[in-house]
Amino acid sequence: MEHEILLDVRHLTHIFPLSRKTAVKAVDDVSFQIRRGEIFGLVGESGSGKSTAARCVMNIYQPYAGQIYYKGIDTCDRGQFRKNKKMLQTTRQMIFQDSGSSLNQKMKVRDIIEEPMRVQKIRPLRGSYEEEARFQMKYVGLDPEYLKKYPGELSGGQRQRVAIARALTMEPELLVADEPIASLDASIQAQIVNLFRHLQKEHGFSFLFIAHDLDMVEFLCDRVGVMYHGKLVETGPARAVFENPLHPYTKALIAAIPIPDPRRERARAVPDFSNTEFSRTGTLREVEKDHFVLMEGGDAG
Amino acid sequence: MTEKTQLFQFAGERPAEKTEAEKKKKWYQDRPVAAELFLGLLVLSCLFCGQIMTKDPSYMDLKNCSVMPCREFLFGTDTMGRDIFSMIWYGGRISLAIGLLSTLISTVIAVLFGAVSGCAPAWLDALLMRLTEIFLSVPNLLLVIFLLAAAGKSNVITISAVIGMTSWTSIAKVVRTEVRQIRNSEYVIASRCMGGSFFYILWHHLAPNFFSSIMFMVVMNIRSAIVAESTLSFMGIGLPLEVISWGSMLSLSEKALMTKAWWIIMIPGVFLIVTLLSFTSIGNYLRKQANRKQRNL
Repeated sequence: MEHEILLDVRHLTHIFPLSRKTAVKAVDDVSFQIRRGEIFGLVGESGSGKSTAARCVMNIYQPYAGQIYYKGIDTCDRGQFRKNKKMLQTTRQMIFQDSGSSLNQKMKVRDIIEEPMRVQKIRPLRGSYEEEARFQMKYVGLDPEYLKKYPGELSGGQRQRVAIARALTMEPELLVADEPIASLDASIQAQIVNLFRHLQKEHGFSFLFIAHDLDMVEFLCDRVGVMYHGKLVETGPARAVFENPLHPYTKALIAAIPIPDPRRERARAVPDFSNTEFSRTGTLREVEKDHFVLMEGGDAG
Repeated sequence: MTEKTQLFQFAGERPAEKTEAEKKKKWYQDRPVAAELFLGLLVLSCLFCGQIMTKDPSYMDLKNCSVMPCREFLFGTDTMGRDIFSMIWYGGRISLAIGLLSTLISTVIAVLFGAVSGCAPAWLDALLMRLTEIFLSVPNLLLVIFLLAAAGKSNVITISAVIGMTSWTSIAKVVRTEVRQIRNSEYVIASRCMGGSFFYILWHHLAPNFFSSIMFMVVMNIRSAIVAESTLSFMGIGLPLEVISWGSMLSLSEKALMTKAWWIIMIPGVFLIVTLLSFTSIGNYLRKQANRKQRNL
């Protein structure tokens, strides 16, 4: 069952009302699938609706329209959600962007890591809660001595590892990471991304990885989706999208990746897209196997 | 050019001695030692009043009415011949119990109400807060008198309940503001994703964060509950005269004033005032501590 679809997002739309008359369409008719054991990257500029989509997937926001099927369960339906509450809350876990605010400053690292197990009242795999916490700390590359400290005493990279350890205690099948590396510096980013890769290989969980760092996404992800102003404009296997970008916005994004060589980077002419409005209309059409692009007119195929 | 360098040097020269001095501070500095000591002694002697009391506090020694403080009656006796020294400890029990019990009641109501209002959608929040304001605008004493009249015969529990039920509003408003600030922080969202219930999140994530900001008000609430009890007893609608508390002791004052027996009013009055002052200074200390911690963040 290698290609079994774990998460199926269909026509997801979410609107934030600003006042009685105006509203922001943060996510507009977005559909994508994540297969079991796959890393799906969602990229786009800030404000393009990536985080909102992720939060809808995690049931933090109730979407305005559309369905999200997780293991065939419509998680947006209150009745179905309630029936499968425990399964949904244990097998889907989220990692937030800012580890400083996603960990309670007044709790010790140990209590933070044990929190999901205590909330769900599950028996840890490795005997006691503390043993499990120690194991997870080692697993994400932290000294178990840190269990006694408060998150304020740790560095950003260490805190993000704590957040990852907290998510892993539940042995998730779907891990949603909302820009987990955006607030870290470059060397720590590389460490965390390598850690993700390693963990994903060991656990085999599916992974929704949100980032605006395209290099990292290309390195880590199997498939990517590109979002622009709430629309999913292109989706496909990472290699296909990065080597053969078809939507103009994807082309612009990829052209903006800096080359890590100052001489070549300075000489390079980066086209200026700052005032360009890219088209956001049309339908997703499959141009090659698994590679969909938002295009005007015509039938799929 | 020279001016500039001097300015830079001046800016760079700021010494770091202050923190050094703070480290050397003795444990008793900045702390309301006298208040803590007094309250500690008071609580202990009220708890172990059986060992301290020289007389039965409710026994009316009619041969010794309104006796000046002397060897036998350390604080004198009241108009009914009861020993004031014994009554102080025995009555302190009731007064402190009312203070603590009603504060407990009001804090529980306030935290629940504030947290519900803080987590609720905007319309419910507005409704709850307007209700609180209406409640707040009714004079407290009037409300207490009404509730006491409705409760019928008063004892320690009903008085505490009534005082507690009328003094939760300001704490609830503070709790609500704090909860509103932190309810959308990511660790609360994370906890909700994990399946943490409302009460779990309230206890583990919200309470530790607003605890320091309501601590001052909670301590002040103990104080005002004791005052409220003595006011009510003084007016004759609180505890009945045979239940000894500092308030009911003070309610004998009009008789005492006519007999020029100053000790009947002065001694319970002084105890009451010193206790209130102690609570106030401890409350102020806690507030300063909370503010300092927030600064250091």
